[in-house]
Amino acid sequence: MDIRPSRTGRPPWMERPSRLGRGGKILAISLISVVVIYPFLAVVATSLSSESDIAASGGLVIWPSHPTFDAYRYVFSGGIVSQALWISFLVTVVGTALSMAATIGMAYGLSRSGVVGGRFFLATALFTMLFTPGVIPMFLTVQKLGMYNTLASLVVPSLVSAFNLVVLRSFFMGLPAELLDAARIDGLGDWRILTRVVLPLSKAVLAVVALFYAVSYWNAFFSALLYLNDTSKWPLALVLRGLVIGGEATSAANEGVVPQQAVQMAVVVVSVVPIAAIYPFLQRYFTKGVLTGAVKG
Amino acid sequence: MHTPHSLGRRGFLRGVGAAAALATGGSTLAACGSGKAATVNKAGSAAQVQLPTYTPLSNGPTPDLPGTDAGVPAGFYNYPASPTAAFASPPLSGGKFSAMTPLFTAPPPSRGSNPAWQAVEKKLGASVDITMVVGDDFDTKLSTLIAGGGLPDLIQYDGLGGVPTISNLPQFLDSQIADLTELIGGDKIKAYPHLAAIPKVFWEQCTVAGRLYFLPIPRGISAGAGLYRQDLFAAAGVNSYKDIKNSDDFLTLLKELTNPGKDRYALATNAGGNYYGLPIFEQIFGVPNKWRVDGAGKLTADIETDEFKAALEFMVKVAKAGCYYPGSQGWTKAKMEDAFQSGKAALIYDGLPALSTSVWATAQKIDPNARLMPFVPFGANGGAGVAYQDNVVFAGTMLKKADPAKLAEVLKIADFLAAPFGTEEYLLKTYGVEGADYTLDANHNPVQTDQGKNDSNVTWKYVAAPQLVTYNPGVNALTDAAHQAYSELVPMALPDPTATLYSPTFGKQGVSLYKAVTDTLTQVIGGQSSMSSFDSAVKTWRSNGGDQMRSEFEQAYANAPKS
Repeated sequence: MDIRPSRTGRPPWMERPSRLGRGGKILAISLISVVVIYPFLAVVATSLSSESDIAASGGLVIWPSHPTFDAYRYVFSGGIVSQALWISFLVTVVGTALSMAATIGMAYGLSRSGVVGGRFFLATALFTMLFTPGVIPMFLTVQKLGMYNTLASLVVPSLVSAFNLVVLRSFFMGLPAELLDAARIDGLGDWRILTRVVLPLSKAVLAVVALFYAVSYWNAFFSALLYLNDTSKWPLALVLRGLVIGGEATSAANEGVVPQQAVQMAVVVVSVVPIAAIYPFLQRYFTKGVLTGAVKG
Repeated sequence: MHTPHSLGRRGFLRGVGAAAALATGGSTLAACGSGKAATVNKAGSAAQVQLPTYTPLSNGPTPDLPGTDAGVPAGFYNYPASPTAAFASPPLSGGKFSAMTPLFTAPPPSRGSNPAWQAVEKKLGASVDITMVVGDDFDTKLSTLIAGGGLPDLIQYDGLGGVPTISNLPQFLDSQIADLTELIGGDKIKAYPHLAAIPKVFWEQCTVAGRLYFLPIPRGISAGAGLYRQDLFAAAGVNSYKDIKNSDDFLTLLKELTNPGKDRYALATNAGGNYYGLPIFEQIFGVPNKWRVDGAGKLTADIETDEFKAALEFMVKVAKAGCYYPGSQGWTKAKMEDAFQSGKAALIYDGLPALSTSVWATAQKIDPNARLMPFVPFGANGGAGVAYQDNVVFAGTMLKKADPAKLAEVLKIADFLAAPFGTEEYLLKTYGVEGADYTLDANHNPVQTDQGKNDSNVTWKYVAAPQLVTYNPGVNALTDAAHQAYSELVPMALPDPTATLYSPTFGKQGVSLYKAVTDTLTQVIGGQSSMSSFDSAVKTWRSNGGDQMRSEFEQAYANAPKS
């Protein structure tokens, strides 16, 4: 490619873009944005529409002509959705915290050389990645540990994800050994090396792993379906599943009440907003070059 | 076609998923029943069993439109003015019980914050913990509980009259489920008067391998042949389904109803078990209900009949004429119903119970002239069409094995929940507590409050239930139409001759074998395959297990005493 300076003396990528080029980019980005935003917009608009508007539009509404908060009022009136929202929040926060603690501890231990039984524990963890336990063995384990119909059943069986463990371990192993040696010479023990040196250097990967855990706890419905009997313990994902597919299950028998589409969409909005809201706060960690300058001096 | 009726409620994939989930548990079950495997694996039929004696209640309310013992639901315009108490005092005195049912609505508030739940238990005299499982996931949870232990006292079984949803069903029933034959067979049912008031036709669905294992949750015998927009039909010159004389008339009408310029089509369908509204056409063309049995006890599957082929050829013509809403084969059921309510489709296959006061009201808001009516099939060659006994029961309820005293208590719970329309108990379990959950309008009809809409989602009606009624408060025209449809459909409804017979091959392979046929079927209607590929799909079905099922069912049929 010809990268000789142009008449202005600047390389081509520093030139002002042509009008056509800019227009093209704006058009392309706008189109992509519409494709991305349209489903969200339709979900929000439908949740704000009356049932007859939805039926008249044949499904999803793009602009609510008679906006109403009825669906949201209904969703929050029974206390079921607000209770489920609270349960999901609790499970996500507590679960993510416990998972992070367990995964960090295990990953740090396994990233150090000379740990007794390190290979065995690593192999055991990796084994679960290759061979996942069946539904019934998991169920029996949960039952025998006395966790059936408790919120612990949503957290403990999925406390450590082997994938996340491997990601963290690899990252910890990639940290410069000189840094850790220096810390040790300065008199720090493993605990303080982990908390003072390793973790501050690993913010980016910790943010990613925490997000993986948080999203999986937030979305988990299958464990709740199997292990929870009491509807007051249901997380939002399971309530949402009931509302969205409950009415689809029936054909000839047609057990009546298909939840109104507005209600379905309102629950979708309620379940998406909290998890979407934390993305911007974590985003800065994704882009930060954390290791810049770590080994200076 | 076998699948739309037998699998409609759960759908194919879910059935397959449940079967997969059961793969681990299956062997355990087989082992449990191995001692009696030889006897329980035999095919059996309802005719061998002494079913509960039908004893109608003498003090029930008088319906506006009477029902029949053959299963036509009685029609009520309004709730009776002064509901009677079915029980003077609570039938039980304490105790804790458990049940498990599917859930097709939002989950209800749990007992602590649900006055309706508390009131039902108070009137019953015992507490009942109900595990409610989102409809689609019910079979998964059930199979896990079967394998893992911890079955509740009352368990719904949704495979009655269709593909068994529990593998090795007879062995499972034999080892874990109470045999009701001796407990409530014959006159013994009279100890439970509300269960005794359920006609025999519903109990006939409740046997396996010659024993009575289930309590029925009755429905209206036939789910009908779809729903139609009477206003749109009238605009096309046909006032009622009765004016359609044969398939030529019908095709002309469907073309007349289709007007893409106005975004209106004669038909809409949806993804899943609808297959372009196949059941409508099957019933018009007189296809047998799953199997046809001749005088010598030989069975012919529906897909093997000339009638089925004629129906399929007709549907291909309808599709070619552009009468289906384009793309609707990918729709959800809710979307299809929306299209129907808004008049974008004039005829859909949807169960008759889908018509309700609220659906009617939604359609009337869009078009005040909208009239949503049940469609009753005519004969393709003139004369009468056929209907199917495809919605006799919603499901059956099994009782976990226990000592006789405990079983008697569990049956009392079922009897309580079978208190019929018109009683205080029915009002309570269906609508909740007056004041908090509903108020009565001028015609004594309960109008639910927002709280009531949530509180009343407790699934009592799926634990045990009385005979169905047609009740659409405020829309007498709809109650009339539904009652009229049931009155016409029930007498012409063909039974499935294998409904109470058991075939091990059907239990194991029924789902997967028919999937291949229905896949081909939709391709033929959609124009991607020719009729000859349907013929070869039927041949494959035969050789892969269809013939085996046939001979097993034939053997079971021969062994069953004829009533």
